[in-house]
This record gives sequence, structure tokens and C-alpha cells, in this order.
Amino acid sequence: MHTLALIAASVKDAPVVHAGKAIALALGIGAGAAGAGAGIGNIFGSMIQSVARQPELRGELQGLMWLGFALTEAVVFYGFLGGLLGYVLV
Amino acid sequence: MKFRTLLAALVTLALVAPAAASAAEFDPSDEFKLKDWVPIHLGGLNLSINRAVVYLLLGAALTCLLGVLLMRWRLGVKPGRRQTVGELIYDIAQTQVAETGLPSKAIHLWFPYCATIMLFIFVVNLLGFLPLPFTGETWHHIPVFGIYAATSQISVTLALAAMTFIFTHVEGIRFNGPIRYFRSWIPDVPKAILPLIVPIEVLSQFMRLISLSVRLYANMLAGHILILTMIGLMFIIHSWPWRAFGLPAAFIFYIFEVLIVVTIQAFIFAALSAIYIGSAIEPEH
Repeated sequence: MHTLALIAASVKDAPVVHAGKAIALALGIGAGAAGAGAGIGNIFGSMIQSVARQPELRGELQGLMWLGFALTEAVVFYGFLGGLLGYVLV
Repeated sequence: MKFRTLLAALVTLALVAPAAASAAEFDPSDEFKLKDWVPIHLGGLNLSINRAVVYLLLGAALTCLLGVLLMRWRLGVKPGRRQTVGELIYDIAQTQVAETGLPSKAIHLWFPYCATIMLFIFVVNLLGFLPLPFTGETWHHIPVFGIYAATSQISVTLALAAMTFIFTHVEGIRFNGPIRYFRSWIPDVPKAILPLIVPIEVLSQFMRLISLSVRLYANMLAGHILILTMIGLMFIIHSWPWRAFGLPAAFIFYIFEVLIVVTIQAFIFAALSAIYIGSAIEPEH
């Protein structure tokens, strides 16, 4: 109990709150980026495989690939925006 | 060889920069605060001209100029370099954006909108990575140059997304009639789970508005904050091996943003607009 009370008292300190917010923001972006990284890797891997199998489809696939890339990449930025909102509002 | 010289120059610049600012003084989000330069207030509306508005006006003028210069002016049967670039942009707008998203009966109606929005967002995004003297600050009476994109302001991208949103539903109702159009939102499912599905489907229509605007806004904002933070690091960090990293990292992010993000985001916004409008005009069932 004593430790908890100590933590609760120290949270009122501005630097601790700032550090906590920074950690939260960084964790949010980092965790979001991990998922999107796997997704983007999957997209480009599939693109390489399909072009290796059917090179003549390259042009058609390229538009789809960039669409998928941008849709996946945007997920990181939703996380980033959430982190930013948390950082600014709390 | 050239690249190595550039890298060496960046590292030297980072090392000799004065370590003047402390971490508390430096906040990259200050760059995104908007101040009213020419205040215009109509009732409760704030229509003041600020940094974002200047960038938007400049972007609109440049888009018109680019369109006329590349695709209207002095066209020949044997295209030169200028005309080839124009034809390339037109070809992407037609085959990749319009023809994948829009049904064939709507292409003549909505191709101009999709092509315009692609070119406009591309120009405004690219303007965001050119240092221009519109920071509103002066240093010994010389305007300070800075990078800023109008599309890193959510009001700008939300207005663009709202345009697509309104056009989608207006066209859906105009082509299908209100009853058939709103019924096409609801998929074929057993009646028992309809109360679950209908709110999700209605919500997903409004989520398009958010995803379309936030994608562009957050991409540009994050890119600018990254570059500004990396440049700012060389004024904050004092110990030597780490000081050398900021500027080359900023340079790499800059190249990535200019070559990939700017083009992709413009393309994605136009392609998704075309897909949304197309799917409203010709629903699957």
C-alpha cells in the first residue's frame, strides 16, 4: 500500500506525467507499426510471388498493390493519431 | 560518390550546428499552429486567411497552371517530354483511378472530379515539402523559410473527404432512387441478425469520411513532424556521435516522403473517391 500511495503522490509531478505520456505515445505508434509492418510485408511478398508466376499481370497488379499498401499503412497513422490525441488531451 | 559527399556534408552540418536550444524549448507541433493573418469573420464563421489558406490558394493556382501547361497547351501528334508527362498523369488518372472505380456509364461524369482531386492533392502535398517563405516569421527582415503542408491540417482533408461523401450519396440517390439506394446498403443476411448488421453498415458509411480524411492528414502530419524532429535533434543533443545522426535521418525521411508518400496518398484519395462514387452509382445488388 505504501508504494502505491507513493506512486499516486508522485504522479502529480509534471515530469512523471510527461514521461508517462511519452511512453504511451511511443508504445501506441510502435505496436501499431508492428502490425502494419507485417501487413505491408505480406502485400509486397504476395506481389513478388504473383509477378514471378505471371509477369504479364504486373501492370494490373501494381495499382492493387499500392492501394493495399496505402490502406495498410494508414493503420499506423490511426494509432499515431490516437496517441497524439491522448498526448494532447490528457 | 555524389551520395557520399552529400552524406558527409549533412554530418558536418549537424556537428557544427550550435547546440543552443534545450529540449523544453523545442516543440515541432508549434509549426502546425495557425495564426490569422488577414482576419475575416462572418458571424460565427472564421474565414480568416492563414498559413494553410495561403498554401491552398498557391496549390490551386499551380494545379491549374500544371493542367494547362501539361495537357492543354501546344499539343502535338509527336509528344515531347512535357506532353509525355501530361499523358502519363492522364493515363494513370484514367486507367488506374477512373476505370477501376467507376462503372462505364459514369466515367464521363466523374472522371474530371477524380482526376482533379488527384492532381490537386499531389500538388498541395508536394508544396508541403518545398521550403517556402510563408512561416510568418522574419529574421532580420528576411522571411524565414519553412516546410508546411495544407493537407497536414484536418480541416482541409475533412473538407475534401466531405466533398466525396456528399457526391457519393447524391449520385447514389440520383441514379437509383432513394429507396433502392438505401436498401442496397444492407447486405443479404438472415432477418434475425439484421438489427446487428444495419447499424454497422450505416456506421461504416460514416467511417469512410473519417478514414479518408485521417489517412491523408495523419500521413502528412507524421511525415512533417518526423522531419522537423530529426532536424531539431541536432540543436538539442550535445554528445557527439548522436548529433551526427539527425540530419541524415531527416534527409532519408524527406526522400521517402517526396518519392513515395506524396504520390501514393494523392492516388489513393482519388482511387477511393472513384470506388465510393462508383459503388453508389452501381450497387452490387
